[in-house]
Amino acid sequence: MRTKFAVVIAGIALLASTRPIVAHHSFSAEFDANKPFKMTGQVTKVEWMNPHTFFYIDVKDEKTGKVTNWAMEMGSPNGLMRAGWTRNTMKVGDKVTVEGSLAKDGSPTGNARAVTMAESGQRLFAASSQGNTQ
Amino acid sequence: MKSSLRTALVSATAAVVFASSVWVLGAAQEQEGGAAPAGRGGGRGGRGRQAGPAQPTPRLADGTVNFGRVPGEKGVWGVPYITNMGMQLVGDDGQPIPEIAKARADQAAAAAAARGAAGGGRAAGGGGGGRGRGGSKSEPWMPWMPWSAAMYDYNSKNESKYDPEGYCLPPGGPRMMATPYQMEILQMPEHNRIVMIFEGATHVWREIYLDGRKFPEGDQLNPTYLGYSIGHYDGKDTLVVENTGFNENSWLDYFGHPHTDKMFVTERWTRPNKQTLHYQATVNDPGAYTKPFTIAWDVPWRDGVELPEYICQENNRYLNRLEDDLGQPIFGPRPQPGVKPGSGTR
Repeated sequence: MRTKFAVVIAGIALLASTRPIVAHHSFSAEFDANKPFKMTGQVTKVEWMNPHTFFYIDVKDEKTGKVTNWAMEMGSPNGLMRAGWTRNTMKVGDKVTVEGSLAKDGSPTGNARAVTMAESGQRLFAASSQGNTQ
Repeated sequence: MKSSLRTALVSATAAVVFASSVWVLGAAQEQEGGAAPAGRGGGRGGRGRQAGPAQPTPRLADGTVNFGRVPGEKGVWGVPYITNMGMQLVGDDGQPIPEIAKARADQAAAAAAARGAAGGGRAAGGGGGGRGRGGSKSEPWMPWMPWSAAMYDYNSKNESKYDPEGYCLPPGGPRMMATPYQMEILQMPEHNRIVMIFEGATHVWREIYLDGRKFPEGDQLNPTYLGYSIGHYDGKDTLVVENTGFNENSWLDYFGHPHTDKMFVTERWTRPNKQTLHYQATVNDPGAYTKPFTIAWDVPWRDGVELPEYICQENNRYLNRLEDDLGQPIFGPRPQPGVKPGSGTR
């Protein structure tokens, strides 16, 4: 309980210190803010690179059992480090829950705004070009 | 087919989300939409802006304002995210022009009403992601020419899809001070020049000559993204920088106000206190606007910070995904009839 409270406080502190978020390209040309998602999957790849860090997760459709590999866009490594990440925060094989907005084109692509690490319960903001989840 | 599977998955996921999560989007949307740009009083959203009372303006040995660090200390300027220059116009008194002051108040009221109507949950964004992108008509105070208004309307309609910054190309002119990364000013009085280094904006530097030179003439003034900058101090408190020689490959801002190579920008920088750089720029572009206009905002100081590296071109997948208005890829090979497309970008 105390830990959770501390995480929330840390989150608020981060939020205050990281605004505005780093913007690189048009968010709304690619992603639809009216299509939020929250999905859980296993990390298959991490690209800790500019201008956007990408990671990929296998997400299983509970109904069909089909597994889809989703591409998730975050902010730049600098932006992520300012939000508390390091290049080793997320590793291949980790289970994560991602919150963000879906791509407009219907492809399995999302703009991540917050990522929760299943093992630690740590929820980190993703320095998204859309802004932090509040 | 594959796409229908994707659509099904997307729909299923979206349905789960709508059913199970409370998602507060309004505030974040406004942030990028630029309805309330950073402005007076320290610039909203300046990352890590300094708390506490204003500290005295640092000075160089001769009393001239110091736009950089106090010796022995670290710090950088946290450039704010100004998405729409059209909402930053100021009058001779340095205050927002009355039309903009009214428009801001109206927007704030509308946003508050929308939040109230949505019960504090999802707000704004109802207009299909338009988020205040009203095109040239929404900024009647801008001295539009028909073509610049039409260009702006197009950029507004496609939500800045073709923003050159999205291609990792540098901003030009005032947008250098509106691209939300960090920046440092290296003032070198012994060399009569100032160098600005930028984390973002494709990791570029900018040089301002204070040695009394004139602009190169004719074709010797080669058009560039950042233009050619010469400066002088107006008293001890103000640096005046004149800029011309811009190419036409950049936009004035994220919202897509165009400019031409006729653009001449006169900047006035002051540092009213240690924590604040006040930036003002008069844009005179007879190729795109019928008369000059002046824009202004504050850039907050971030104490104790050093510039990290940022190389935009490293892995810009936006280029790979970008399609034109006809659904064709803008970069790379176009699909050929009878040829199976490759695995794409992932």
